[in-house]
Amino acid sequence: MGVIQFKNVGKTFGPRDSGFVALKDIDLEIRDKEFVAIVGPSGCGKTTCLRMVAGFENATDGVVSVDGTPIKRPGPDRAVVFQQFALFPWKTVYDNIDLGLRNLNVSGSERSSRIEAILNLMNLTQYAKHFPHQLSGGMQQRVAIARAYVLDPDVLLMDEPFGALDAQTRVVMQEELVRLARKNPRTVLFITHAVEEAVYLADRVAIMTRAPGRIKEVLDVASIRNAEDWDSHEKIEDVMDLESFVHLRTHIWRSLREEKAAQHA
Amino acid sequence: MQRRVSIGLATILIVCALWYAATAMFGIIPPGRFPSPAETWSALVHVSGRGYGGGDLTMHVYNSLRLVVMGFLFAIATGVPLGLLMGWSRKAEAFINPIFLIIRPIPPLAWIPLAILWLGLGDAAKIMVIWFSAFVPSVINTFAGVRNIDRPVLEAAYMLGMPKIRFVSEVLIPGASPMIFTGLRLSLQASWTTLVAAELVGAFYGIGRVLNVAQQDLYPGMILVGMIAVAILGWGTTRVLGMAEARALRWNTAALAAKG
Repeated sequence: MGVIQFKNVGKTFGPRDSGFVALKDIDLEIRDKEFVAIVGPSGCGKTTCLRMVAGFENATDGVVSVDGTPIKRPGPDRAVVFQQFALFPWKTVYDNIDLGLRNLNVSGSERSSRIEAILNLMNLTQYAKHFPHQLSGGMQQRVAIARAYVLDPDVLLMDEPFGALDAQTRVVMQEELVRLARKNPRTVLFITHAVEEAVYLADRVAIMTRAPGRIKEVLDVASIRNAEDWDSHEKIEDVMDLESFVHLRTHIWRSLREEKAAQHA
Repeated sequence: MQRRVSIGLATILIVCALWYAATAMFGIIPPGRFPSPAETWSALVHVSGRGYGGGDLTMHVYNSLRLVVMGFLFAIATGVPLGLLMGWSRKAEAFINPIFLIIRPIPPLAWIPLAILWLGLGDAAKIMVIWFSAFVPSVINTFAGVRNIDRPVLEAAYMLGMPKIRFVSEVLIPGASPMIFTGLRLSLQASWTTLVAAELVGAFYGIGRVLNVAQQDLYPGMILVGMIAVAILGWGTTRVLGMAEARALRWNTAALAAKG
């Protein structure tokens, strides 16, 4: 299982009465095996939402829980993929992926078969003995995704995972993630500021307001995707050409632009 | 690389030639001030054969090297863990840092009289002073190394649910290791400096002892032999440390190469 629940969540940095209010009244439930993307203007607190699920930050109001249990600290049941990859530079690709499994006390033979499977799935087999710095950014992020997926976590948290990649690599990674997520569904919370990425990947897209961040609107993409059969198209550009896709994207753009305008007003 | 080595050797040869010219050949530097190459050679033969200052060269070298290695290892064994603790726990740092602020400005050599008062002229006092001088750079650099580890890398470790001991051995130590080695280099240098000073003050054997007796005997050739011996030992031990570093930081050389 992996149900993420935000109940009346607020987050204030600094003193309670005079500090910076980053999030206010966040109410959101992410169902088991659902892929939800949060988009919003920069500084709206979307990353803070993810960090609270990960256990890196505590909510100052309300409760963040997974399967009904309030989150206290980080743990391997909630695997995180960071924007800056955050691989251990002193460990090889193989050892980076292995570390989480060792911590879970998975037996040696099972570890090697699981690592082999994920290396294969992510096209990393030939790089198993490389150190992270010998790989390109896209490859490194692939290792980070493998390190998270191999744990078979209830919840996968992705914090602008493709934000540091160049445009071409980004597209390839998005297609791969769709492939991975449809084949091997997980509860995913995906943070991004790229609207197309959110629409392409997610089952639902939550739009946030500028600080203090609130959830402004939640769009159901999955029902449109299934009705229009997006997944029959293999390439991202074909999906992005569909009228239903363009319509959704424009809707989110407008919504975000209102936020931008409010910020400058 | 080949080229660099040959240029280096050529430089040394030129310096030696100038040395010979300035002393033995033209006598620009009077023999009482600085020895000629021949005098230095005969001093080397003297201390290696009959012995000088209470023992032969092997014995002096062995003693000095032993003290440095012991003091240095002792400093690593105490300094690195303390630096890790301070880097890891803000509380520990808050406790320990004030002590450091008081002790740090005291030059390690200023501890020599107290060490001799406590422990006498034997090895223990010297090891203590060497330990003291090598300890400070180990602690400070290890501490800085831990604080330099990227925040997301630490968070990734928390996320993976690391047991404490594994966290220290597989994340904190390797993460801090580039800085730890910087600290160890400084510690090693400090160890040699302190050793010579401590032996000058009082010792039965050791290169510092040779230097001290030679000074009293007005024996410049022997002084130079002592100085060259320290230089070679310092170079050799640094070399060994450098090899250990290259081995331990294989991943980091890859990282540095990737950054260009």
